[in-house]
Amino acid sequence: MSNTVAQVRSRVPRFADVTSRLAGSSLGAGAVGRARLTVVPRRRVRAPRMPFVALVSMVLLGGVVGLLMFNTSMQQAAFASTDLQQEADTLAARQQTLQMDLDRLRDPQRIAAAAVKLHMVQTPNAAFLDMRTGRIEGVAAPGSAASTFPIWPKAPAKPAALNPKPHVVWVDPPASADPSADPSADPSAKQSRDTASGATGTTPADGRKNTIGSQPSH
Amino acid sequence: MPQSRPPRGSRRGSPQLRLRVGFVLIAMVLSLFGARLVQLQGLDPNSYAAMAAAEGLVKAVLPAERGDILDRNGKPIARSVDGMMIVADPQLTSEHATALARFLYRRLSVDYPGTLAKLRAENSRFEYVARRVPSTIATATVEAAARRGFVGLDTRRDPVRDYPAGDVAANLVGFMGTDEPLAGFERTFNDQLAGTDGSERYEVGGGNRLPLGQSTVTEPVDGQDLHTTIDLDLQWYTQRVLRQAVDGSGGESGFAVVMDSRTGEILALADDPTFDANHPTDAPKADLGSRALQDVYEPGSVEKVLTLSSLINERQVTPRTKIVVPPALNREDRTIHDWFPHGTIHLTLAGVVAQSSNIGTVLAADRFKSGQLYDYLRAFGLGQKTGIGVRGETTGLLPAKSQWTHQMQDRIAFGQSLSVNGVQMAAAVNTIANHGVRIDPSIIEGKATTVDGDVVGTDTTTEHRVVSARAATATTHMMERVVDPDVGVAPGAAVPGYVVAGKTGTAQRVGAECGCYDGTFTVSFAGFAPADDPRFTVYVVVQDPSNGGGGGSVGGPAFSKIMSYALRRYAVPPTGGQPSHLPVTW
Repeated sequence: MSNTVAQVRSRVPRFADVTSRLAGSSLGAGAVGRARLTVVPRRRVRAPRMPFVALVSMVLLGGVVGLLMFNTSMQQAAFASTDLQQEADTLAARQQTLQMDLDRLRDPQRIAAAAVKLHMVQTPNAAFLDMRTGRIEGVAAPGSAASTFPIWPKAPAKPAALNPKPHVVWVDPPASADPSADPSADPSAKQSRDTASGATGTTPADGRKNTIGSQPSH
Repeated sequence: MPQSRPPRGSRRGSPQLRLRVGFVLIAMVLSLFGARLVQLQGLDPNSYAAMAAAEGLVKAVLPAERGDILDRNGKPIARSVDGMMIVADPQLTSEHATALARFLYRRLSVDYPGTLAKLRAENSRFEYVARRVPSTIATATVEAAARRGFVGLDTRRDPVRDYPAGDVAANLVGFMGTDEPLAGFERTFNDQLAGTDGSERYEVGGGNRLPLGQSTVTEPVDGQDLHTTIDLDLQWYTQRVLRQAVDGSGGESGFAVVMDSRTGEILALADDPTFDANHPTDAPKADLGSRALQDVYEPGSVEKVLTLSSLINERQVTPRTKIVVPPALNREDRTIHDWFPHGTIHLTLAGVVAQSSNIGTVLAADRFKSGQLYDYLRAFGLGQKTGIGVRGETTGLLPAKSQWTHQMQDRIAFGQSLSVNGVQMAAAVNTIANHGVRIDPSIIEGKATTVDGDVVGTDTTTEHRVVSARAATATTHMMERVVDPDVGVAPGAAVPGYVVAGKTGTAQRVGAECGCYDGTFTVSFAGFAPADDPRFTVYVVVQDPSNGGGGGSVGGPAFSKIMSYALRRYAVPPTGGQPSHLPVTW
């Protein structure tokens, strides 16, 4: 270190050369005497650093923490949003199912079936009551067999595999039967070629058209 | 700098050598890094970027909801329900396939052997187990399966098309296949009903959407609902009554049309036999459409109403015109008979209508000038499509004016030698009900565009006068005699308490094989009530009744039930008028 100071000093032009030049100028000898130069002593003056450092680090910390919290709250909102979206989907599906149930309850087929179950009768005609005058307009007709129609839709035709043609076997009456016997006296002989009670049935319950068992399974 | 040598006697070796070896090793490792860098960035930079981006990226289709088909009161005839499909990963399910298949059969009624085969499928990681299941049922099933320890089931979105009314209006609404509509309004108005699917891309992390991740959404455009003029309850009633009429008479098929007389809106259009729209494959293919509009037939005596109203409009006849009706009429190469054998009888024009005499009609129609009847029938709408929006509608066959011979006019006058479809004829009879003004029939409320670009609906209907109100009233008075128990041929069509005007029809049918009249008949009854202020026009047709019944005995009772129900449903009180007492004989 002292090496370098010495080198510095050695590179600074010699004071004597400077003063000798100055002495010859207008400043005069007094200036020479006053203008002795020395190295300025190092001053240990420092601005207080702590507040600045504290401010910067606070800003930094606040920024980082704030960003973190902001991010966290946004992710939390995302979780909540997913949950609520799922809940909304579930409720929408439930509403749809309930709407389907409602439409099923309003189905005219179901209402007609419920009415038949309650033994209600279809009416062919209705009369109108005028509430102001108390008059009856029209003809109220009671329900009858002629005014009733079956309420079920036609069942779909079964495929041939499930609906085979009946195999009919004709059986001749036994040969040992007395030819003079009255055939009408023996009811079983009369019915050997009879198809079903539907052929001689007189009530709507006979025959296949009005069979209640032909309801389709929904 | 002077080279430093290690002091003598130490074992450290020369630092220069170590440095050099270290530099060489570092250079080798860095060159590997450099090569990898070149490979990543220089050779194929995009694929790695894409793989990274795809890691958390979800691409989802946002399906558009299909529009509903509604009746005139907003009740759904066809509607879309949130549905799901249940899929299985056979690699995970094959272990407990039998138990799982049994479980699925019990919950979803799927086909057991087929499902078992799918759950055991080799070399597959994706099999459909059930398509289009309502979503609550699907999620419940998958959760129940998970509770029992079955793995490998998953659900995906798959909307269900539900027809809550089953077979009611199925002939009009049609049905869907697995993904596309196959018949009816579903197909005809698919552009309006289908809407447009949307799509979205977003990033997920841990099962939740990343709020700051990539997110693009194209919103789906839901389909628009289709409003029809059908009244669902009335359609159900009409279908059941029609079925009784067709089955009771042993007919091959039949249809019934109920129209609002004033507006031309079709309240019910029933076909028999028909099908259940939820299970269209259960029915034969011939039943999957609407015979009322797709099949032609010869209208028969119902057409006499149009002929005679035109004559009255031309002031050629009145309801009291006296006509001498011989037992048979020889015209050119054919003899014309009536449906009932008689000698020479004296009928008024009202009697011709009440007794449905072909010969009387022909004698009256002789008073037409050449080509007049053709013009009137075209004005009534015969020979042209009604354009209500039902697929496959037939135009009908009205021979061109230039092809008419006098004999053809005779036969057309009583409804043979021309073909119509059901709604055409109902709209023509409705002209008389609407005081001589023909209003276009319509079945769609508002306006809708078919896939062919036609605009149909109540907003597009037009009306024009065909015959004068005086002629329409005179014809109505004659038609009131048809349901008279003493002189009419259709007393079964009367509705107690109301004045009903109607006309029977029994027409010979053309056989498909021979192209000639094959001895079978089309029986029909068309009418409207209350006759002095018509509200509804009902037209019932039964093809080939095997019990030998005519329009009066087969169509009449069905008409009476349907008309009575329609009047009750819409609370139309009797007008208090009396039916006409026009003389039928003289």
